[in-house]
Amino acid sequence: MTHLCLAAGFGLLALAPVYGQAPAKIASAGNKDWTMPRTTDGHPDFQGFWTDASVTPLERPKQLGAKEFYTPEEAAEHDRHELVDRTSWDRLGSQAQVHYDMSQYGLDVSLVKVALTRRTSLIIGPEGRIPPLTDEARKRRADQAAQRRGHEFDSAQNRPLQERCIVWSNTGPPMTPAAYNSNLQIVQGGGYVAILQEMIHDTRLIPIGAQPHLPSNIRQWLGDPRGHWEGDTLVVDTTNFTNRTNVFGSTENLHVVERFKMVDADTIVYEFTLDDPTTWTRPWTAQLPLTRIEGPIFEYACHEGNLGMPNTLSGARAAEEAAKKDAK
Amino acid sequence: MKHRLGIQFALAAAASTVFFFVTPALAHHAFAAEFDVNRPIKLRGTVTKMDWINPHSWIYIDVKGPDGHVVNWMIEGGSPNVLLRLGFTKEALPAGSEIVIDGYQAKDGSTRGVGKVLRFADGRKLFLGSSAPGAKGEPDK
Repeated sequence: MTHLCLAAGFGLLALAPVYGQAPAKIASAGNKDWTMPRTTDGHPDFQGFWTDASVTPLERPKQLGAKEFYTPEEAAEHDRHELVDRTSWDRLGSQAQVHYDMSQYGLDVSLVKVALTRRTSLIIGPEGRIPPLTDEARKRRADQAAQRRGHEFDSAQNRPLQERCIVWSNTGPPMTPAAYNSNLQIVQGGGYVAILQEMIHDTRLIPIGAQPHLPSNIRQWLGDPRGHWEGDTLVVDTTNFTNRTNVFGSTENLHVVERFKMVDADTIVYEFTLDDPTTWTRPWTAQLPLTRIEGPIFEYACHEGNLGMPNTLSGARAAEEAAKKDAK
Repeated sequence: MKHRLGIQFALAAAASTVFFFVTPALAHHAFAAEFDVNRPIKLRGTVTKMDWINPHSWIYIDVKGPDGHVVNWMIEGGSPNVLLRLGFTKEALPAGSEIVIDGYQAKDGSTRGVGKVLRFADGRKLFLGSSAPGAKGEPDK
């Protein structure tokens, strides 16, 4: 595998050719002859289908210390190990060793396109990890855990948002890789940029311009985004999250700044900075490539077939009945 | 490949079931919340229908028990979007197909489960992925 170093606007980023559906079908990347595609208003044209599927961890493994990039040889070995040697569930850290989608029936994430990077973690900088929590956030997290304990399966409302088909963690902001269907479509026009995430079929509609954010009493699951162009970089500033939107433990005070910059015809470098002084001791930034894929995006009607929720709750009720019998 | 007819439950010695509550990025829901890793199942049966619904597909199979009684099982499968992109079409598993599924039963003890490995009765694997890097079409053990 060859890696190509690209002097991207955000610093050195190395991208490998992406994997096609067949392992032998390796696309070329880093075409130096490309020219920035532009919409009729002159801004970069990001429209099309993209994936942020990744085998790079959000946080850097501690043993790597401050090492922010692998060498090309190390990156090749890392990617080979992640994509070939391990099952998806080894990779994703499931305790169950088995689950649907990627490792089921012979499927595996190595069969889909993966956006590779030489970064050792998506979080940039010498630490490469989410900063320490504030004292307030530590107490909040402990209180929430204590409240949840023993009530995780009481009702649908006690289950995580993605199980309830309300918000998927990759939808963003910030957009982060999902375990599967990590695909998105970007559409531009009429003073807006729209980002449709396949999981779980949410569209972020981002107005471009200088309009102020919504009044602070209006809160939205995905926040209130405002976009503007800094040269050829699209910058999106999002505030006004709800107090139930939880991004790595954040609160309604979360402030997200995203930056999109196309570095070749098939690659957008996507960067996000998260700041929530009531959660983290400092802001933190991550960067990942978006790699162009063939469309289309398929519908993902999550509520329609969410049998997982009744099955989970009925399983919990059955366990409670069994415990009662054992107690007698 | 020989498979016993009917239902074969291998109830493993009960290790503690692992619940993982906060796994937002992994899957639609926690495997251990819905299925019991201590109740592995092997089912041989005939496909009656397949629901192509998100977040997970469901395969329905008629399974004849040792007593001749037929029970319809529901087996959870992958997201239709993933299946379709990797070549699993609506024609891949028509009603009437005889298949063998290794998986795990639902925690509530119903005739529902999740599939791990699926083969046609003659031993053919369903998936094209068996020879591809990283594809793990075989059970772990």
